Amino acid sequence: MKKSFIIKRIFYAIFVFIVVMTLNFFIPRLGVDDPAERYYPPQGNLSEIEYEIIKQATREQYGFDVSTFQQYLNYVEKLLNFDLGTSFRSGSPRVSDLIAERLPWTLVLSVTNLIISLFLGITIGAIAAWRRGRWQDTLLLNASTFTTALPAFFIALILTFYLGFELELFPAYTNPNMISQFDWSWDAIMVVASNAALPIISMSIGGIISYGQGTRNSVIAVTNEDFILTARAKGLSPNTVLYKHTLRNAMLPIVTSLGMSISGLIGGAVIIEQIFNWNGMGTLFLEANSSNDYPLMMGIMLFMSSFAIVANLVTELCYSLLDPRITVGERR
Amino acid sequence: MKTILKILNKIGTVLKNIFLSIWNFILKLWKHPKGKIGIIVISLLAICAIFAPLIAPYDPYDVTQRAAKGLAPSWEHLLGTTITTGQDIFSMLIYGTRVSLVIGLVTGISIAFVGAIMGILAGYIGGVVDNIIMRVVDILLVIPTLPLIIVLTNIFGKTYLMIIVIFVALGWTGLARVIRSLVLVLKNANYVKASELAGASRWHIMIKHILPGVSHLLIMSTALSCAGIMVAEAGLSFLGLGDPTAISWGKMLAEAQSGGALLFGHWWWIMAPGIGIFLAVFSFMRIGLALEEMFNPRMKQSNNMYKIFKHLNNTYLNEVFNSMNNEELLGIQVPLTEQTNLKGEN
Repeated sequence: MKKSFIIKRIFYAIFVFIVVMTLNFFIPRLGVDDPAERYYPPQGNLSEIEYEIIKQATREQYGFDVSTFQQYLNYVEKLLNFDLGTSFRSGSPRVSDLIAERLPWTLVLSVTNLIISLFLGITIGAIAAWRRGRWQDTLLLNASTFTTALPAFFIALILTFYLGFELELFPAYTNPNMISQFDWSWDAIMVVASNAALPIISMSIGGIISYGQGTRNSVIAVTNEDFILTARAKGLSPNTVLYKHTLRNAMLPIVTSLGMSISGLIGGAVIIEQIFNWNGMGTLFLEANSSNDYPLMMGIMLFMSSFAIVANLVTELCYSLLDPRITVGERR
Repeated sequence: MKTILKILNKIGTVLKNIFLSIWNFILKLWKHPKGKIGIIVISLLAICAIFAPLIAPYDPYDVTQRAAKGLAPSWEHLLGTTITTGQDIFSMLIYGTRVSLVIGLVTGISIAFVGAIMGILAGYIGGVVDNIIMRVVDILLVIPTLPLIIVLTNIFGKTYLMIIVIFVALGWTGLARVIRSLVLVLKNANYVKASELAGASRWHIMIKHILPGVSHLLIMSTALSCAGIMVAEAGLSFLGLGDPTAISWGKMLAEAQSGGALLFGHWWWIMAPGIGIFLAVFSFMRIGLALEEMFNPRMKQSNNMYKIFKHLNNTYLNEVFNSMNNEELLGIQVPLTEQTNLKGEN
């Protein structure tokens, strides 16, 4: 891998970040006339002057008393110090604290989902490819035509209905005290596991099937190559051929799609989180949106986008390390 | 008088040709086993959407039926009534078809238009235009799509027109990439070179030579993006961010969830809109697949749906748009920076 390529990609990622940051600052502002007005709706027995004073104080507190361009400069300056600003919520908590509080809970869902879909998917896909044309393969094919047309939130509702309400296997709605009472004890971990079961299952059904299909097709493509024939002709056992020769080469496309999944880890589960009342990043964003808390909205969007930028960058670099055959960095 | 007749005649033949080609196209689809299911289901849904007031036995907007709350399915109310307001679920289902179909079709077709224009411009003209368009694509693909859509609908209003505009503005990126990479191949084809040598203008080449070359991809991805957009719209309505005045399947699901369908065991209230979404999406995907096999017979044996609708379920819209990058389907080798897709194929 060329050094110039790495440097080029890093600079490009920084460029994308700057543009995203700028968009991120201006887009929420399109809809807000005067943030102070929204923050303090005229109410109660305040006189006009008192109200004006409060509004002015609010503007100053959140830095809205200067021109928009000056606000942008302040925003950039704050970002350089890794400060995402303060939320409009009462007690004005820092946005980064709010994100840090919610992030682990989203990751619990999405990382578990990714791991499950990856491992089960690759296993199923390898089996289907190995038993090509038999019932295992047909089953996967038929399953994929159905799961791709079913939205995850519908699967989630059905699962809640049958597993949550009818069979009472899992709690149908997340216990709101789960997060505040979490203390790394065995019981608390078990509570989280039972609460997370339904969201994770409903998210991973689609993931398992699509990774399975991906692995299947990629394995079949590799199986047709000459070196597999050579390996078999050498008299290697079918298992050795599968694990040492086929799967290893078939993994490359999976890495690409893994990179895509990783860049969606944080922002991917808004609807599922909303259904199960799971206090993660998605619900935090919806709360921020419904209360017009746009420092918080900007913070979350920026955090998600920068995560995606970094994930894409790492995937690109990893991929060119893994597969030296591919010439990278050249745009036609 | 003669000139007017001539013009009318010309218009007539053009219209006739258009209708004939559409008819032939549908006939071709009909002969394809996968396309047949899709066409049957979609025509049924379209009939439901067009004649909704005639088919629906009750007024779905009527929330005053206090005596008929939470009824189970019977001959009077085919799918029962809602627990909260006593609306007839079957009528709501019929009216919900309108939203899904209209948004899916209009957005899918507009995405095809914008994606084709952007992709052809970027691929054929190249240079600065290409750079600008591809930078925009890269940026749009990085921003989390669902949060961005939520912010934009909040700012610009929740009417369906606005939602369509937002979907199109964010959704053309994946298609534009695919088209661009195909145009880059077509650009070097001999007939395009010949046309260039003969002195044809850029616009002539783009419209007469490049566009027909990518049209099969456009038609196919329109069917597939219709399906994707339907799921996306249902999700948006489910979050309460759709048009609050209209009945849509996503909103019905949200109402069922908040109205206690799960708690009281009214499974029909959940299954009805869910199956509606499933049928609509499924049939559009079938048509997309059938078209893909018709235009690209090499791909016949493998089920490529996963490539196009990878992760549609769990990671949602972002993935829907990303995964339209099906360069691999066309057998085009794309540089890695462009490649976001699984490589394997039979």
